[in-house]
Amino acid sequence: MSDMTELNEPVEDGHLVRDEVRRISKSVHARRVATSRLMMVLCAVALLVAAVPLVMLIAELVKNGLPQLNKAFFTTEPQTPTLIAPNAAGGVSNAIVGSLALTVYASVLAIPLGILVGVYLAESESKLASILRVIAQTMAGAPSILMGLFAFSFIVHDLNIGFSALAGSFALAVLMMPVIIIATEIAVRNVPNSLREAGLALGARNHKVSLRIVLPTALSGIVTGTILAISRAVGETAPVLLVIGGGFINQWRPLDPVSSLPLSIFENAKSQWPAQRLQVWGAALVLVAFVFVLSLTARIWATRKQQVRN
Amino acid sequence: MTLVPTDLHVHDEAVAEFNSATADRTWYHFVLLGAAVLFGIISVGFVGTIFWSSLPTWLHHGVTLLTGKGWSSPNGPFGGLAMIVGTLETSLIALALAVLVGLGTSIAIVFLVPRRLRNIIATLVELLAAVPSVVYGLWGLAVLSPWMAVTVNPWLNSWPFAKVLFGNPGQEFGTSLLLASIVLGIMILPTFVAISREVIAVVPQDLIEASLSLGATRWQVIREVVLPTAKIGLFGATFLALARATGETVAVALVAGGVADAQFHLLYPGTSIAAWIALTFGESQGNEIAALMALGVLLMLLNFGFSMISRALVNRQRKILAIV
Repeated sequence: MSDMTELNEPVEDGHLVRDEVRRISKSVHARRVATSRLMMVLCAVALLVAAVPLVMLIAELVKNGLPQLNKAFFTTEPQTPTLIAPNAAGGVSNAIVGSLALTVYASVLAIPLGILVGVYLAESESKLASILRVIAQTMAGAPSILMGLFAFSFIVHDLNIGFSALAGSFALAVLMMPVIIIATEIAVRNVPNSLREAGLALGARNHKVSLRIVLPTALSGIVTGTILAISRAVGETAPVLLVIGGGFINQWRPLDPVSSLPLSIFENAKSQWPAQRLQVWGAALVLVAFVFVLSLTARIWATRKQQVRN
Repeated sequence: MTLVPTDLHVHDEAVAEFNSATADRTWYHFVLLGAAVLFGIISVGFVGTIFWSSLPTWLHHGVTLLTGKGWSSPNGPFGGLAMIVGTLETSLIALALAVLVGLGTSIAIVFLVPRRLRNIIATLVELLAAVPSVVYGLWGLAVLSPWMAVTVNPWLNSWPFAKVLFGNPGQEFGTSLLLASIVLGIMILPTFVAISREVIAVVPQDLIEASLSLGATRWQVIREVVLPTAKIGLFGATFLALARATGETVAVALVAGGVADAQFHLLYPGTSIAAWIALTFGESQGNEIAALMALGVLLMLLNFGFSMISRALVNRQRKILAIV
């Protein structure tokens, strides 16, 4: 009997302890849940903060740029405003022509070579291939101003060709090549080996298999990478800044000095003439629209590829 | 019927065909190899030409370039300390901003955003990365810098010890090292998010579910399981963003103010290596071009170093997850 009384007391204590534990665990749980909620809300806020610049930037581009766009903007050469005609800034046709010329020449230089090197990296196991892979990856992230320094030293100075579209497109081609190489290598590596073997089993030769089976299968990946490379090149200022010479006239031949949209934005952004500072927004809007269209096209190509796969 | 060709003629044909197949292979390989070697030459030329053009500066004024404070065109001395300090200051502040916001963004994209919206957000991040840097520069110059001058700078200067961090009130500018850092931070954010999102998304689901089944809250899962598992890859993303920040040129050239003065007051104008090359190259000749090339070599070393570290880390993360 005395055992019972002795036992009862700890049991009552046990209730107290259990309640206490429950109370504490509840508060710990509440705190954990509260912390979790707070942190997840902070993450959501971070996402919103990240979206703010994009929204603000596009709003400003449309607000300031759209009023600038008219026929004269696209078709006339620029002119420097004067005290008598402070609003006569002309158009940006020279920059549009120059940008197109630079992009075309750079593509001609970079795309064939880039694709060939990419295929080589995908199909070769040699030491050279592994070295070139690291080089391509490093060059893909290299500061674009360095391509400008390279083109200046090599084309403008050493070869004595002078400030020209050729020098600018050389700089842009060096910039584009690594992007195309990496995209091509990945696309070619992703082609299932069974397709290659099927081709070989049917008696096709190695290069036939490559040209007729592997490349067509990898095409959408290669196109995606190439479009991304072009869209990067179109918007670059730093590499062309040092070597294309600029100027107000519509010029497009390889050895002519040319202008480009990014360059004209860079040069006129700090202009003392309000008309030029406004016109720059029009050029920026055109440039961003062009680049966005290219990126979205690349993305659509990429998703189409996935759908075909699946 | 016999499998062994008895007719010698047929046999010859087979041999000929075999030979032409190997010849094709050599021809095809020759073209690919030629392209690869050409690319190798171009990239060696890329590094070699810039280094070669900078050689006079390294031989005669190397110390000045690394530690000198003044830059006077056209005859020198050409001191690069201001640009080196400016590059590191702006990149590191930009990195801090981008990692803070970017990590939250990546977690939100992976754990909060419904699957259907994820693609749209990924596209938006890509578009943010596709905006040319000169457009960011224009936006920073025309929109952010007046806002900094009128609203933000006076507010920052009302902080205690503001003088130490920001410089004397009244001498600050709209275009400053701080504005350059903010614009840079916005520009490298998509680079960081692209990789960190991927690294976080591939953390194995069983680890997450095991942790949830033990009663962990969502944040506990992220802090105790997801982030530690993804840690190395996240450092990789950080170094890649840092590499991009150091090389960013025209945006910094437009919004940093373009003054070569080695100092740490964030609201004063400054410059970076890349921006300084862009701003001064047009009017430079002879020795000054060599000095700018030498700055280019420094930039290349910084950038290549950071991107190599980044690649090593991301590759290690891939291996770790392959084992898990």
